[in-house]
Amino acid sequence: MKLNTHPRGADHRFSWSAGLRSGRLIALLLFLLFAPGIRAQSITYSRPVETAPQENTIGGGYRTPAVQKPKPRDYWLQVADVFVLGTAMGMSVWLVLKRRNRKWAVALSIGSLAYFGFYREGCICPIGSIQNIAVALTDPKYSIPMVVTLTFVLPLAVALFFGRAFCGGVCALGAMQELVLLKPVQVPPRLDRALGLLKYVYLALAITLAIKPALARDFLICRFDPFVGFFRRTGSPQMLMLGGGFLLLGMFVGRPYCRYLCPYGGLLAWCTRLSRRGVTITPDKELDCGLCTNACPYGAIERMRAVRKDCLYCARCYASCPRTRAPLVTLS
Amino acid sequence: MSEPVTRRDLLNNVARGSVLAALGGGAIFLVQKAHGQVVWQVDASRCTNSRLGDSTNVEACKLCTTECVVALSAVRAVNEHSKCGRCNICPAYFNITSAVDEKGLPSEKQCPRDAITRKPIGKADPEDPANNFYDYVIDEDKCDGCGKCVMKCKEPLGLGSIVLRVRYDRCVNCNKCAISRSCPKDAMIQVPVEEALRPPEIRHNPE
Repeated sequence: MKLNTHPRGADHRFSWSAGLRSGRLIALLLFLLFAPGIRAQSITYSRPVETAPQENTIGGGYRTPAVQKPKPRDYWLQVADVFVLGTAMGMSVWLVLKRRNRKWAVALSIGSLAYFGFYREGCICPIGSIQNIAVALTDPKYSIPMVVTLTFVLPLAVALFFGRAFCGGVCALGAMQELVLLKPVQVPPRLDRALGLLKYVYLALAITLAIKPALARDFLICRFDPFVGFFRRTGSPQMLMLGGGFLLLGMFVGRPYCRYLCPYGGLLAWCTRLSRRGVTITPDKELDCGLCTNACPYGAIERMRAVRKDCLYCARCYASCPRTRAPLVTLS
Repeated sequence: MSEPVTRRDLLNNVARGSVLAALGGGAIFLVQKAHGQVVWQVDASRCTNSRLGDSTNVEACKLCTTECVVALSAVRAVNEHSKCGRCNICPAYFNITSAVDEKGLPSEKQCPRDAITRKPIGKADPEDPANNFYDYVIDEDKCDGCGKCVMKCKEPLGLGSIVLRVRYDRCVNCNKCAISRSCPKDAMIQVPVEEALRPPEIRHNPE
């Protein structure tokens, strides 16, 4: 039987109270019946107990159950993440520049996608760390752990020497798009350049919003990360649709997020202008066949030379090169 | 024999060196400034579900369940056992407005996910229900932090031992917690780890 929960003028039938042994329970139920109407009146209900009974008052060898308090991820595990990041970048450089091996480079991407994407659920990543760095540099009260600083600095330092090794084998967002790229089409160079400027607008916008005062602060890059919903297997329908859209577009246009929106890609592109080494189409060995230019889905080979700021370390050019496949072909 | 250094290479090296120095300097500045990890935690004295003396809401606020970015929210209800009254009829465990069954207990439970277990302490005396005590343990894997039990376990009925807390095995520590963005009372705040793991003390309205 359900009680009448609209108390005013209600007839309190006590037939059900036969089952009750505690007078306090009746008082409690009465209080609840009246509760919405008696805001101004004094509360007549008294609690079953006024204070919490403790181990010594309960007796009988009673032990208070432990409260579950799961701790945050251990610090050494966060440091380990940075090590994995560094090692993966080292492997990316070695596999692409030294071994020129696309298969293993793709395997590395899959490994990074599994670790940084699906296991670490997309956090922390250098892309989002831009905002934390910006806030920590401007707000005297805000500080970031050392691992975040290192996550931000390491890929840039690698880019200063070897180019965008992070983008190729390590970045989970990049790997996601790399793996869905089935039928690449070449984007007209003018359009490619124009769209490429978008990432700097996005970078400026993200920093502007991040360095606002604490309450108005917004972390745009994290909020509109298109793939983090897939990594976490949950997310708002709009964001999942946006991610799905990027993946669908990414089947034909090579890595659209990386090339046109990724703000960290913008920073890396600046650093690669100074890089000592990078993917090179070796002039003294080339056949002038142009297969590499056609193979590059990112428009990063211009006039038979790799453009380091756009090269995303996918090693497709090497994989397509007849020289790599049959090194004994002689120049005519 | 090494190749002579061209002007272009030299400039390049100098530029690279200065960028590296800037990055390193910035990193050292930030590392020196760093003081421990901060995490998100519910401020029980602000949360409308747990704040004592707040009877403005009759329905529990569910934003912690719906707004969190991880699948089962990283916020859960936690019973601080040392503050629990261990009542025979717990207003957070039972829906005390429901019909009474043959044992004299309300027939409906409060938790929609049946995450709370009720276990007598010692031997329960059926003749003296008011002096029987029970342990109420919340199953962490079932709880989604909807706050219904939190709402009931406060004055005038409860002692306020159940509060909403962030579970750090699930929380991914977003830069800007999605719950904090929508919380009407700004109860989701960033605190140092040690503070976040301590049980909440003051529960009264800070205003």
